[in-house]
Amino acid sequence: MAKLLAIPYTVKIQKRTYITRKVSISITFLSLILAFLVVGLIFIFMGINPVDVYYHITMVFSSPTLLFESFKRAIPIGLAALGLSIAFRMNFWNIGAEGQMYMGMFASTGIVLLHLYYGLIPDYLVMFLMMLAAFITGGLWCSLPAFLKIKMKVNEILTTLMMNYVAMYFVDFLIYGPWRDPKGYGFPLSAPFPDYAKLVMLLGEFAYTGLLLLSLTAALVYVILKYTKLGFELKIVGESIDTARYAGINLSKVITLGGFLSGGVAGLGGLTIVSGIIGRLRPRASPGYGYTAIIVVLLSSLNPWLIIPVSIFFGGLFVAGDILQAALKIPGAAVEICQASIFLFIIVGEFIKRYRIMIVQKGGIE
Amino acid sequence: MEELVSLRGIVKRFPGVVANDNVDFSLRKGEIHALLGENGAGKTTLMNILYGLYRPDSGEIFIEGRRVKIESPRDAIKLGIGMVHQNFKLIPSHTVLENIILGLKEVGLIINYKAIGEKIKQLAESYGWRINPSAYVWQLTAGEKQQVELLKLLYRDAKILILDEPTSVLTPQECKILFQALRRMANEGKGVIFITHKLDEVFAISDRVTVMRRGKVVFLKETSKTNMSELAQYMVGRPVIFTIEKKEVQPSEEVMVIKNLKAFNDKGVLALKGVNLTVMKNEIVGIIGVTGNGQQELVEVISGLRKATEGSILIDGVNIVNNSPEKIIKLGVAFIPPEPLKYGIIPNLTIADNLFMKAYRYKPYSNGVLINWKTIYEKSEELVKAFQIVSPSLSAQARSLSGGNLQRLILARELSGLIGERIPRLIVAAYPTKGLDIGATEFVHKTLIEYSRRGSGILIVSEDVEEALMVCDRVAVMHDGKIVSVFKPGELDIEKIGLMMAGVEIAST
Repeated sequence: MAKLLAIPYTVKIQKRTYITRKVSISITFLSLILAFLVVGLIFIFMGINPVDVYYHITMVFSSPTLLFESFKRAIPIGLAALGLSIAFRMNFWNIGAEGQMYMGMFASTGIVLLHLYYGLIPDYLVMFLMMLAAFITGGLWCSLPAFLKIKMKVNEILTTLMMNYVAMYFVDFLIYGPWRDPKGYGFPLSAPFPDYAKLVMLLGEFAYTGLLLLSLTAALVYVILKYTKLGFELKIVGESIDTARYAGINLSKVITLGGFLSGGVAGLGGLTIVSGIIGRLRPRASPGYGYTAIIVVLLSSLNPWLIIPVSIFFGGLFVAGDILQAALKIPGAAVEICQASIFLFIIVGEFIKRYRIMIVQKGGIE
Repeated sequence: MEELVSLRGIVKRFPGVVANDNVDFSLRKGEIHALLGENGAGKTTLMNILYGLYRPDSGEIFIEGRRVKIESPRDAIKLGIGMVHQNFKLIPSHTVLENIILGLKEVGLIINYKAIGEKIKQLAESYGWRINPSAYVWQLTAGEKQQVELLKLLYRDAKILILDEPTSVLTPQECKILFQALRRMANEGKGVIFITHKLDEVFAISDRVTVMRRGKVVFLKETSKTNMSELAQYMVGRPVIFTIEKKEVQPSEEVMVIKNLKAFNDKGVLALKGVNLTVMKNEIVGIIGVTGNGQQELVEVISGLRKATEGSILIDGVNIVNNSPEKIIKLGVAFIPPEPLKYGIIPNLTIADNLFMKAYRYKPYSNGVLINWKTIYEKSEELVKAFQIVSPSLSAQARSLSGGNLQRLILARELSGLIGERIPRLIVAAYPTKGLDIGATEFVHKTLIEYSRRGSGILIVSEDVEEALMVCDRVAVMHDGKIVSVFKPGELDIEKIGLMMAGVEIAST
């Protein structure tokens, strides 16, 4: 009896050996469409017309002002993702771009405040110094877990993730404490940045200057990964630590340095938040750009050039979230649920690209 | 005679290759059937199809005359098919008994350890094995682990036993025990498929032999009606020479002197217990021994991958113990590592990347910061030609190469003098022909002999005693972390060497 009732099919998951570009792109689009359908369902349950929601989301990518806003958000996301692409290349699972960005914000704001207070250097050097400080501080924030990993085998996923909170609360402490603007009516904000400390120079607008900075960094990361000794070493370390050791590669040096560069670029991303988007430091200045960057870099399959358009798409999702809250009075949590659903579908799409899911007949005597 | 298995017209394609091209194969009740062929001939693919790991693109499978469909190993096990893989699939931290009953539904919720243990013991004894069911698998020798794998199948009443190159981890003595047990199983009416690429084993154990080459069955006969050279010819498609011409050279200076070397293994147990060994210029020294007696640790210490706790290794008079691999590489020590795919080769990277995994950091391939890819590609082109590496292109992934070509790639990287424009002072080759087919093995042997005659000192670690006796100028037997005997090929007979490897007899020479 049991034999008769048994379902004669089972599910089998098999790793794909190859996949064509066409199939890969159509899977991504299909998962996006499915994601939006599911998001629509959620909105229907909330009593909101999903067509309105779709309309506002498409607006983000069609209206020039909103697209412009998406560019701005894309810049910190993209920089963090570029940083991560270095770490991920050496198989170092840096989940800490968020914290490294906060350290970048801390360092660049620190330079501004020091300059406002003591004014020891000419104004035009401040931006350069801010970048340097943001890069080094972000870099050190990431090379510590890298060093711990290679010397004491501490899992980097845990350390980088934990250090996000340390960085975030450290910035909270500064803003609620010593760095609170005395002229700010008690709000937890730093003093506003003067113009020379804002990323508006050159092209007069942060979105342009930022995109330029993003493109230059992408080019630099591309060159480092493809044409330098370090890039080659990162690649080998990423493929196999044992082989890297066998090939005579200095693992502590390469991993610590790779971690430093990774965190440094993310630190620059932090700088673009305070001196580009906001113009001052405030608590929780990043709405999770550093985490979004993880999805961005995986979707771009570590390709520095792909990171830019993908960041713009995700920047747009952040803008869309703000618009939906403002225009349709949708609660922030609902918007986050939507964003999360979209992420989830994209990740499932990536899984399907790598594995074939088959329903096969159970075997046995025919 | 009753047919247990009949495979008819099996076709299996992988991207770019036809691994099985219309293959027929049969196994009779009570026979040991050797499946012979070079690596990449399609033997393992065929057996993986029978075991349900792959699905054939076309063809039919009959078990005891009934047509069946095998979608997974679970189906295969239900049909009485069992397979012992080359790398054992046991869980080291579990006991023998636990490993054997793992996945068995009949055991029930509450395990009757006593009864099952008794049954396992009896089963083992009936084949002349002494296995303690409550021993942990990590405590067992390779031979015992294999016995547990077989017990696992026998406990499930498997009638069709597939063994994939089962002797590669065994001493000569352990091989004998295995062969006796297999014969007994055949006498009980089971069928045994014995995958191998060693000709002598075919004659030692099998009733019939099927030879595969390039995905096709090219030969099938009763073993008693054929001979070694006929089989070898079918296997490689041309006559094979079993001996190697070696020019006599007088070793002159000492290249490497190892004194009282001690080191721990990964488990923190002393694996090298005072090794003493010298390798001269122009000389090939072979280390033989049962796997796990310190060979791995020794080559790792020499190449700087493992720390030594005591002793010295002088390379041209310089002590390199506990130096970084980079320094040792720079002194001219080449290292052909065991298991190329584990750390000798990165399958996802290109052939050029793999060729320059070590030399990329030296001039003229790098200026200290940037890598000179143009020079690297030009040189790679040259190396691919010189070492006859068959590859689609330099920027193809290394995973697209066959085992023999991967070993050629490693030889090209290690021997060709990319670093410092000179041939290596010392070549450490760990199991350089393991898993290679006859053609590739020949190439490796010839290349190593050539380099020794050109002036390198060579240390080969091998588990194949006959290979060592054929290729080396001197042979050292390693047992329990020590070199127990050093002799020249021809001085000792193989029986005695086997006993020394097993630690039974300490040499008097």
